Parts: sequence; C-alpha cells; structure tokens
Amino acid sequence: MTALLSIQAVTKVFGGLTAVDNVDVDIAERSITSLIGPNGAGKTTLFNCLTGLHRPEAGEILFDGRSLIGLRPDEITARGVARTYQNIRLFGRMTALENVLVGQHLRLHASHWSAILRSTRQQAEERAARTFALELLAFVGLESHAEVVSTNLPYGEQRLLEVARALGSRPSLLLLDEPAAGMNPSETDRMMELVHRLRDEMGITIFLIEHDMKVVMSVSETVAVLDYGEKIAEGTPEEVRANARVVEAYLGPEVVLQDTADTPNL
Amino acid sequence: MTPVSANGAIRNGLIAFAFLGYLILIGIPGRLGGSALPVLALVAALFFWVKLRFDAPDTGGAGLPGGSAEGKPGWQIGAPGQSSGRGVGALFPGRGGTLVLRHGLLAGVTTGLLIAGMSLAFASAIGSGASIQPVLDKIVPVNVGALIGVSPGQIANDDVPLFRYPLQVLFFTVAGLFAALAAVAARARNLQTTSMARLSAYLDSLPFRTTARFAGIALPFLLLAYIVWLGIPGVSAFGSNEGTVRLLFTLIATGSGLFAIRLAHPGREQKIVALLLALGVLTMPFILDQFQNSVMGLVFIFVMMGLGLNIVVGYAGLLDLGYVAFFAIGAYTYAFLSAPFSSPYISNLLNLLGISPEIPLLGYWTALPVAMLTAAIGGILLGIPVLRLRGDYLAIVTLGFGEIIRLFMLNLGELTNGPRGILEISQPGLFGLPPQSFSSGLLSSQGWIFLVALVSSAVVAFVAIRLNDSRLGRAWFAMQEDEDVAEATGVHLVRTKLLAFAIGATFAGMAGQLYASRQINIFPENFSLFVSIDALALIIVGGIGSPAGIVLGALALKGLPEVLRGVDEYRIVTFAALLVIMMIVRPAGILPSARRRVQVSPTDEQGPTTAAEERENDASLPAQGPPARPEDARSEEPA
Ligand SMILES: Nc1ncnc2c1ncn2[C@@H]1O[C@H](COP(=O)(O)OP(=O)(O)O)[C@@H](O)[C@H]1O
Ligand SMILES: [Mg+2]
Repeated sequence: MTALLSIQAVTKVFGGLTAVDNVDVDIAERSITSLIGPNGAGKTTLFNCLTGLHRPEAGEILFDGRSLIGLRPDEITARGVARTYQNIRLFGRMTALENVLVGQHLRLHASHWSAILRSTRQQAEERAARTFALELLAFVGLESHAEVVSTNLPYGEQRLLEVARALGSRPSLLLLDEPAAGMNPSETDRMMELVHRLRDEMGITIFLIEHDMKVVMSVSETVAVLDYGEKIAEGTPEEVRANARVVEAYLGPEVVLQDTADTPNL
Repeated sequence: MTPVSANGAIRNGLIAFAFLGYLILIGIPGRLGGSALPVLALVAALFFWVKLRFDAPDTGGAGLPGGSAEGKPGWQIGAPGQSSGRGVGALFPGRGGTLVLRHGLLAGVTTGLLIAGMSLAFASAIGSGASIQPVLDKIVPVNVGALIGVSPGQIANDDVPLFRYPLQVLFFTVAGLFAALAAVAARARNLQTTSMARLSAYLDSLPFRTTARFAGIALPFLLLAYIVWLGIPGVSAFGSNEGTVRLLFTLIATGSGLFAIRLAHPGREQKIVALLLALGVLTMPFILDQFQNSVMGLVFIFVMMGLGLNIVVGYAGLLDLGYVAFFAIGAYTYAFLSAPFSSPYISNLLNLLGISPEIPLLGYWTALPVAMLTAAIGGILLGIPVLRLRGDYLAIVTLGFGEIIRLFMLNLGELTNGPRGILEISQPGLFGLPPQSFSSGLLSSQGWIFLVALVSSAVVAFVAIRLNDSRLGRAWFAMQEDEDVAEATGVHLVRTKLLAFAIGATFAGMAGQLYASRQINIFPENFSLFVSIDALALIIVGGIGSPAGIVLGALALKGLPEVLRGVDEYRIVTFAALLVIMMIVRPAGILPSARRRVQVSPTDEQGPTTAAEERENDASLPAQGPPARPEDARSEEPA
C-alpha cells in the first residue's frame, strides 16, 4: 500500500508556540482518514501546511511522491489537493454555480483574447464548465440552488457548497476541516453519506478533521490524534478509542469538550 | 430622529433655513433671477422629503439606524423615551399621516418665517441706505430682490409691497406640505392599510407598469428629439450660459437611455432599443455645439477611465488611488509622439538621428497601441511592488505612485518640458484624412473628439464586460471576496492581479491619449490627484462593478457641474449637496451591479435571493422589489 499523501516530521511554529510538532501521517489512496484532537491541537494548522497557506519550519510533505513544500496554494491545488474550511469561506456574493465555476478555474485554459471574442472554443469550454458545475451541485444535492447567492443559502448547504467548489478542481485528495461542525444530526448524516460517496463513486481520498467522536468512529478507516501539536496516537477507530493517552487527552473530560467546542484558545 | 414631534419639525425648519441662508449669502438668488424663490423652495422641499423619508425607516429597507419597524406595520414615530413623548409608537397612516403633514407644515412655516425675516431685514437695511455690502458682499439689490420677487430698483428705493413677505412664507409652507405628502405617499406604497393603498395598488397594477415601462423607454428618444428641436444656439434659463440647458438634456437623454435599456424586455426588444439609442447617441456629436461637445467628450473620456479603474477596484477589489498615473502616461506618450518638437530631449535625439522633429512621429491611431502598451507596462510596474499589500496600505502606496508620476512630469524638464507642458498635440485623423478636415462643416473639432470618445468607450466597455463574464472575471471577483481562499481554490494571484492592473492601466492610457489630443496642450497640473479622485468618485456614485452605472456616474460627475456653470463658483457646493442626497437615496450607486445589491439591500422575503430574481428586478420598475426583512436590513447596514 503506497501512501498518496505522506506527512513526515512536519513542524510549524508560531512565535513561541509549536502548533504542529514533528507530526507523521501517511494516507493511503482511496482511504478515509480522520484527524482528531482537542481544540487548538493544531489540526487546522496542519491542513494549512498541506495546502501551502503556511510553510512548515521542518519536515516533508510528499503527495503522489512529490514534495509540496514551498509550492504556492494554487500550485498545490493544481497537483490535486482541494480543501474546505472550518469557518465557511465561500465567495459570499457569488451564486452557488459561480462558486463551483471558480473551483474549476485552473482546469479552464481558454485565453483571455478568446473570452473577449467569444470564440467557439472558449464558449464550448464555458458550457462544459457549467455542465460540470451543475453535475457537482447535483452530486452534493444543491442542483435546485444553482442560482442562489451563496450567503443566502442555509448553513448546512453552505458547507455542501464548499465541498462542491473543492470538487471543481477535480482533486484526488480532499481535505475537509470539520465538515459537520454546527450541523444537526440529520445534516451530519447527510454529510457523512456524501463523504462515503466521494470516495466510493469519485475515488477521492478523504482526510478530514472532525469533532464528533461518533461520526469519526463511524466514518473513518484510520484515525490520527493530535494533542498540543503532537501526534499521540494513530490506528483504527477501535485502537484509538482504546488508547490510554487519547482517553486522557481527549475522550476523558467529555463535558469539558462540549464546553470548549466553539472557543478556540490562543 | 424625531421627525414628527414639534421640536423635530422646528429643528428641520432651522436646518433648512441655515442651508438656504448660506445660499442667499453667497448670492445664489441673484443668479437665479425670477426663479429664485421656487428653486429655493424646491431645495427646501427636497431636504424635508429626505428627512421625513429616511429618518423613520419603513420595512422597505434603506433605513437609518434608530428607526424601528419590528413586526407590526407601524411607523414608530419619534425615538422612544424622548421627552417630547408625543407620537411615540403612533401608527401610520391614521394619525401618523396627519402628524407627518403637520410636521411638514411646521417645518415649512419655520423656514419661511426665517427667510422672510431675513429678507425684510436685508431689504430695509439696503433701502435705508445702510452700507452692509462691505461685510456681506452678496447682499445687493439684485440678490435680495430676486429672493423677495421684486426688481432691484424696488429694493434700492425701499419700495417693496408688504404682501411679498407672507408670499415667501407661503412658498416654503407649500414646500413643507409637498415634502410631507410625498413621504406619506411613498410610505403608503409599502403599507397597504389605508385609503392610500388604493393609489398604491394602482401604481403596482399592470396597466400602469406597462405604461410606465413604455414611457421610460420613450423618454430618451423624446429628449433626443427635443435636443434636435432646440437647435444649435441653445437656450438660456436660470441666468445660465447659453447652451447649458441643451447640455443638461443631452446628459439626461444619455442617462435615461441606460435606464430604458434596462426597462426593455431582455432579448429582441432590448437589442432594438439599445441599437436605436446607440444610433441616437452617435448623432449627437453632429448636433451639439462646440461647448456641449467638449463637455460630452470629457464625460466619455472619463467613462473610459472609470471602466478601467472599475476593473481594478470594482472587479478585482484593489483600491488604487494613483490611477491618474496611467492617464498621464498615455497622455505624455502620445504627446511625445505627436509633438516631439515640444520636448527638448526628444527633438535633440531626433535631430541626431536625422529625423525632423517638426512633424508628428505617429498619427493618433498608429500611436494608440504604443500609448496602450506604455500604460500597461506602467500598470505592471506599479503592480509588482504592491502585490502583497491589501486595503489601506495598497491605497496609500498607489496614491504615492500617482503623485510621483506627476512630479516626474513636472521636474524632468528636458524630457517633458516641465510646467511649460507639451504643446500642439494633434487630433485624431481618419483613413489618412488630416484632422483639420473634420473641424469644419458637419462635425466640429470637439464633436469629432466626442465621437472618438464614444466609440472608444464602447470598445472599452465591450472588452470589460466580456472579460468580466469569463474565467478571468470570476477569478477577479473571487480574489475580491477572499484572496486566500481564491488562491487555495486555484487562482494564480500574481497573474490575476497584474492582469487587472495592466488592463485597467491600458484603458486609462487610451483615455489619456484622447485627453491629450482634446486639450492640444498638456501640463503636469492636468494630472493631479483630483483626476484619480474624480475617477473613483464616479464609479462609486454610478455603482461599482456596473458599466452602465459608470456611464451615469461620469455624466453626473463630469457633465452636471458644467451645466451648473450658471451658478459659477458655487456650483461645487450645489453639486456636493446633490451628491450627498444621492448617496442617501441610493447608497450602492445610481445603477449598482446585481452583486452589490446583494450586499447592500437584500430583497429576500420568502426565500433566498437568486441572481435571476436580481436581474428581474432590474427590468421591472424602480422600487418594486419585495420589502426586505427588517432584521436583514439592519444587519446588512454598513457600520
Ligand atoms: N496564523 C496563526 N498565527 C498564530 N497562531 C496560530 C495561527 N493559526 C493557529 N494558531 C495557533 O495554533 C494553535 C493551533 O490552532 P489550530 O490549528 O487552529 O487548532 P485546531 O484546528 O486543532 O483547533 C492554536 O493555539 C492557535 O491559536
Ligand atoms: Mg481547527
């Protein structure tokens, strides 16, 4: 089993704070891997390192055998890594369809001259892009909202739209940052079903951050646990659940977990 | 915030008086002549109307903070807890309607009494031979007479019929009442609970809408016909320069043409209306006189500027305050090519090369690509260092760049001839015909410039709209919405930003070249910071991101002040007042783009707003959108 993504000893420091500390994770192709950990553990920061938003101080990130370190975010996306955000970051004043079209930006190649002249090739490309965008919207269940301005979508559908936008770049690895955060149980089920379909029908490898332990245990094949930037456990959901350090760091004080769910500490 | 209490009414009356008093002290009535009193009353009415309409917001949005319309269709009058207590929570329009009328009456009477008192004081002072002119230089018989509605002689001889003063009061009282009625009627359209509702229902009915639509489409054509009918000499009104009225109608015809295109049904009808309008506008350079043409030419040069700046600011969201730099680069590039003899350095160089500097190196059209390219390179050179800057920092650095270019032109005397400027720049020719052949007969020289400006603007608008409608436009907009996410989504930020700067600069370069040939002589002072500010202001007034809005913005900002030339140095004050009113009434611009309206005034009641609905609202009559939820209107209010 060769890893599609191989994170090797990645370290990210903010001032005096080591947000990600010497973390190794391997993600197999067509797997669903979860990253869990208390708030402030460094999960989002690790995603930011993967997508080029942050440059790690040390370590190596190999995707498809090639290093991602030092690439710009758009170059990383071009390699086939796409992501969603913990706090939804859609292009608010664009319609759902336009959001997905921007997602396809780097798969479109018609020249700007041809856009001015509306050449037949450019028009064909635009039509194909629209068709593909509509397919993606249908895939996540938003086909009837294509023309809705995205800030006006209900919360849960905004999360689905973020997934559709990420799919626009035809990624082979999709990073989902707390895709079910703030969702009710039925919306969460819908999202997790979507995660499975992404893998089974589209063959996309999934790496996701999730807070809800029930969800994590049901959806993922492998779980990695971060605490204070360090990876403290990795394995199948059962193994992780049984791990003493995880129980101590994360599963133990369940009440506290509930309280801090929405307040990232600095 | 207490529009209906007695205190509020008197206060509004006082504010109106303060403003009118200022206009009187600077001598406006004297310039307006016989129409002084009606015009002043109109200004007062406009002020009262704005106060009444917007102090107590209805559920139709556009409200100012402090109003409350929670749930019930009430117009909460007066701020709660105010000492005047009366009218708090009074329901409209039963009692509220009368209260509003009373407010208008009281405010009007207040203003009227104060104006009449002031007139009486001035008239008797002048009549008794007191010398007040050294202190108040505009308080002269002509001015005071116009204010009272009598001849200057009657003022000087202290021979003013006493009934004139109550007549003044009456004018302002009527103004107050009219403003109140207009406010009541506007509100009644939103609240269908009154006898006014019947009027409102009629306004919303299909026959009325159809009639209004046809009227709206016909308006620009009627205006164009009227302009032709007025003939070349033009007429004067309000003591203004000859021809300004015709210019005003030209501006309104062009502006209303843009609304007419929106009123027409999309598809064939719209295409036909647009085509006919284009033909109508293209005939204008042949119909207008030299002055009117020169103003319209400048307007459309600024349309090009606005369209270019709009790419940078409106589409890509990069606040560029140094935009004049590219305008200057385009102008000077063409100036060097067209009048090389004006530049000591270039004439020396040409002499060395054995080329005569006495004749233009390139004609207008062959120089065009050079000017565009130079400006584009300027855009990229500015773009590279500011790539990492955002918001305020970007604005400040670009501001500096604009000034640097101007100082460069001023101080590189060898090249640019410094403050003495580059002189005798040639006008565009056509198909080998020299420019002179256009400045006689059918088309005046300024008419030719206007025509070139029109056609160039059309080309620029076409390119801007097409680009915005492509993947590049989407990338620009994504970048404006969230730069980091856009990059992570696959947008190459460096390339996308530099393209915005370069294309915006190219358009400014084209505008600059035409400006240089319009001016014939250019000087560094032509390219001050104010050009950048004008260009920015016109896209904000017109509606950022909307090409049609930009044309309107240019008509309003570069055209209207010329019409107001009749009121001379005070035109800027009058003009500023108009701008303030405009920004209150339409905060997103005169013709905002659909996207801007999503942000500023959400119009969703039952469900999410779709872009299709947005476009539909474009095509329907103004103010037909369903009322927004009050919570939304507030939460979206810019802080
Ligand atoms: N851009 C940043 N600058 C400084 N500190 C940051 C930055 N991003 C995250 N951090 C800090 O890094 C730590 C990890 O944050 P994060 O990755 O968001 O945690 P998680 O996603 O696991 O809740 C937190 O203490 C956070 O405050
Ligand atoms: Mg996080």
